[in-house]
Amino acid sequence: MSRGWLTAGPLPAAHTTRRRDQRLTILACLAAAGGLWLLQAFASGYVVHMTCVAALFAVLAVSYNLINGVTGQFSLEPNAFVACGAYVTALLTLSPAEKAASFILEPIIWPLSMISIPLLPALLIAGLLTALMGFLMGFPVFRVRGDYLAIVTLGFGEVIRVVANNTQSITNGPLGLKGIPHLTDLWWSGGLLALTLFVIVRLVNSSYGRALKAVREDEVAAEAMGINAFWHKMLAFTTSAFFEGVAGGLLAHLITTISPSLFTFFLTFNLLIIIVVGGLGSNTGAFLAALLFTYGGEWLRVVEEPLNLFGLHIPGIPGMRMVIFSLILVAVMIFMRQGLLGRREFSWRWLLAFFDRRRA
Amino acid sequence: MSRPALLRAQGLSCRFGGLLAVDGLDFSLAPGELAGLIGPNGAGKTTCFNLFTGRVRPIAGRIDFDQRPIAGLRPSRINQMGLARTFQNIRLFDDLSVLENVLVGFHGRLKASFLSAILRLPGYAAEEERMFTRAAELLDLVGLARLSDERADSLAYGQQRLLEIARALATQPRLLLLDEPAAGMNPQETAQLASLVRRLRNEMGLTILLIEHDMRFVMNLCERLTVLDQGRIIAQGAPAQVQQNPAVIRAYLGEEAGRA
Repeated sequence: MSRGWLTAGPLPAAHTTRRRDQRLTILACLAAAGGLWLLQAFASGYVVHMTCVAALFAVLAVSYNLINGVTGQFSLEPNAFVACGAYVTALLTLSPAEKAASFILEPIIWPLSMISIPLLPALLIAGLLTALMGFLMGFPVFRVRGDYLAIVTLGFGEVIRVVANNTQSITNGPLGLKGIPHLTDLWWSGGLLALTLFVIVRLVNSSYGRALKAVREDEVAAEAMGINAFWHKMLAFTTSAFFEGVAGGLLAHLITTISPSLFTFFLTFNLLIIIVVGGLGSNTGAFLAALLFTYGGEWLRVVEEPLNLFGLHIPGIPGMRMVIFSLILVAVMIFMRQGLLGRREFSWRWLLAFFDRRRA
Repeated sequence: MSRPALLRAQGLSCRFGGLLAVDGLDFSLAPGELAGLIGPNGAGKTTCFNLFTGRVRPIAGRIDFDQRPIAGLRPSRINQMGLARTFQNIRLFDDLSVLENVLVGFHGRLKASFLSAILRLPGYAAEEERMFTRAAELLDLVGLARLSDERADSLAYGQQRLLEIARALATQPRLLLLDEPAAGMNPQETAQLASLVRRLRNEMGLTILLIEHDMRFVMNLCERLTVLDQGRIIAQGAPAQVQQNPAVIRAYLGEEAGRA
């Protein structure tokens, strides 16, 4: 049951707790920044890389959850938005020499062949362009609902991939883009995650967020109460597209090579698993599940390695971790229909009440 | 000279497949009226509400609210002009709390942009503060104040109907359409509802049109009744007159009773 926000006792006056919550949030941010600094200073390159991936997946999951979980519009297009962001950012930051070297089949078109700008403006442009794409896509897409919405958005996701494959003079086709500067570090990905959480959590907790949830719960009633369902879906979709685009840009500068095959439906599918396991509609759930998903996938590699157990030799089975991963998913869906958190959210009030109970 | 009608429908028709659900309806409501819409099941009462609130589009005719045409507008637009409703089959936002359900009602009139909501700029903060205060007052008015943190779907049936009224009031309407507000209520709750509806009209100056099957409730409360049958108005007037009208008795009880 998602009655979690009721278990911490009666609500105290909003003014007294808001101050306290703000302070605690700032403290937590400082602690997280300290953690990042420690990782940067002492952790291996592999752990740093995985943490960047985890943070970017958390960004993707939280923004995808805004349209799928909070607004209740089951859509399947994030791979398109990530691809758009990744390509735009990469094309803007790659040096002209690098571009000339990789575009061997067809030369890159004129303005792009000369442009090379720093990462920050490139990310901003990518985010805005992806948001624009989401905005334009929204007009046809939100004429339909439910299963039809899923199919239409799935179609758009495929279209983007096909376009990336075939516009060789812009995207270099199936060869993809190579030699993208490795600019994404813990600060970039952690910073984007903090910004995404700030914007989306605030949005969800505002009057706009209540309107989005109202559209999810009952669109007819929401309209009858003066909420323009179409524009609110557009708001959620465009916001989600913006952050997915920026995250795509950082992802490109983390893995340094992108090609259309990276942005298939499989990417969307992974994100969908993350937000469903986390609990559709819960930002906390999306965040935690994204971390579990990326780190967990790595931890599970242990089961694929040869193992000596009390003199018993077990050879490693490649692919075993996917089997175990699937079993975990099945178990979560059987025993926790609503996902790990349902629609509950983390709150300082809940955490403090939890510690109070522990002490009592 | 009588004041212009707050709501006026002229030659309004609506068809569902082969069924003419509303057939050339002429209807008007004066400001401050407390009127009832009655009729046997399937007479087209709820369809009228759906037409007035923009949920269903008419095939013919026009609707004016406050002397402005509203037929064909989005339901949210019509609501923002000051026409709110409740639903016959309760349509609350189940997963939201009682308080949040009412807060949603204020959103349509929110002036602050979503950017100022995210940044909690002073303008938005002030609006939100007002929203919370007003929502608490509205919950108090309908008697649900102590339940404000409960989930909407955990309320009893009668309480859910009251919450729908509070939510509709939050949109600051001038005309309130209540679709079977007393359905599923016990006699005590029905009496409380009647006094609430009277207060809304007398103290808040709302114009109210309600659909109801509970005849005692309707006869005691409404000043004017309109009787629908098969999408047409068959009688209109004060409750006592309507009660005596042979056409009405025929519609409710059948041919024989009407002739007797």
